[in-house]
Amino acid sequence: MRQRKRPLKFLALATVVGLVALLAGYGAWFPSAQEPAYVFVDAWGEPGTGPGQFRDPTGIAVTDNEVFVSDARNARIQVFDHDGRFLRQFGAPGEGLGQLGRPMNLTISNDELYVADYWNDRIQVFSLEGKPLRTIGRSGQGPGELNAPGGVAVATNGDLYVVDFYNQRIQHLDPEGRFIEQWGTTGEVGIWAGEFNYPTDVALATDGTLYVADGYNDRVQVISAQGKFLHKWGGPFAMNIFGPFKGWFATTTSIAFGPQGSVFVSDFYNHRVQKFAPDGTFLSAFGEEGTGPGQFNYAIAAAVAPDGSVFVVDFGNHRIQKWRPHDSE
Amino acid sequence: MKKSLIAIALALLWSTAWSAPREYQVHVDGLACPFCAYGIEKSFSKQAGVKEVETDIQAGLVRVVMEEDASLSEEQARKAVKAAGFSLRSFNETVEGN
Repeated sequence: MRQRKRPLKFLALATVVGLVALLAGYGAWFPSAQEPAYVFVDAWGEPGTGPGQFRDPTGIAVTDNEVFVSDARNARIQVFDHDGRFLRQFGAPGEGLGQLGRPMNLTISNDELYVADYWNDRIQVFSLEGKPLRTIGRSGQGPGELNAPGGVAVATNGDLYVVDFYNQRIQHLDPEGRFIEQWGTTGEVGIWAGEFNYPTDVALATDGTLYVADGYNDRVQVISAQGKFLHKWGGPFAMNIFGPFKGWFATTTSIAFGPQGSVFVSDFYNHRVQKFAPDGTFLSAFGEEGTGPGQFNYAIAAAVAPDGSVFVVDFGNHRIQKWRPHDSE
Repeated sequence: MKKSLIAIALALLWSTAWSAPREYQVHVDGLACPFCAYGIEKSFSKQAGVKEVETDIQAGLVRVVMEEDASLSEEQARKAVKAAGFSLRSFNETVEGN
């Protein structure tokens, strides 16, 4: 991973890239918004260990009436209604069934909650009520083994696509955790197509296309249902060039679909969420750095409800924010 | 009598200082993302004798508390930080409670 706080180096890089961009075609690298911006609705949460308080919230998933949040340092999942009212919590520190070590990105599939159990090198599955059901994966670098899973997607047949953060790969496993295939070279960082640089999250489209938040490559990579690389986006050439411009990223930490198939990407160091069409066309972005309403101190994860509301994990402010599309009530 | 009390007090102080667990502060460059911070915590927790690890992400600081009589070398810290994908900037030993 690399240093993010080098403004002079960044400015120099941005200047060079900017000049090249002018020559190559301004519109391609600096797109304008295709949609109105989202509107801030509400926020809840504060630092702490009690119900409705967080110590490093990191992941989120939603149903049509509930919001599930990974509360990483508290080693638990907290559940709220869509207005932020606390409903229940589950999980505790440890390595046993039902215990968690730094839970990260979340996924809900077939009325089950899949938790990337980062320290325990496994995916842990809970009922939506919080009953621990099973774990998938174990520590290591071999097939079916994990080293700090950051996120997971689940196919309709129960297959899992697991982001294996420190192993620099995405693993496709069957429902029992048996290895099927992988993308990326185990333990090797790469910036070219099909290679990864600390991937963080993954989302599966209804047609089986896989979208990967390729974290420190500052991009999204797309893999077909047949396992072939399709395309990528994020900055010039989508190859580890970060920046604050529309359609660019500064570390992608989660990826999720909206009800219409749009792709929402958490742009961590840019303190915002960006929305794209499935082909990578920039649509809109919302959020800026700060502690006030509608501001983020590192937007680490987002999930979209069936009604289009977007719930965002505001990591450094230890809270959850709710946003709505501009044209909704 | 006075000398005996002083000797006992000194002995108690010595024993407290001797048994206090060692604590280290490790500064890491570029640490701001929780994926990285938790990776570093995980890496340190695998070191023998480590009792507690906590990262101040904003400050880029890792606090490592050891079990009684255990210690951590700078080289061990450097390897743990490197395994998590970072570079060690500084390494200092403190004593818990001081």
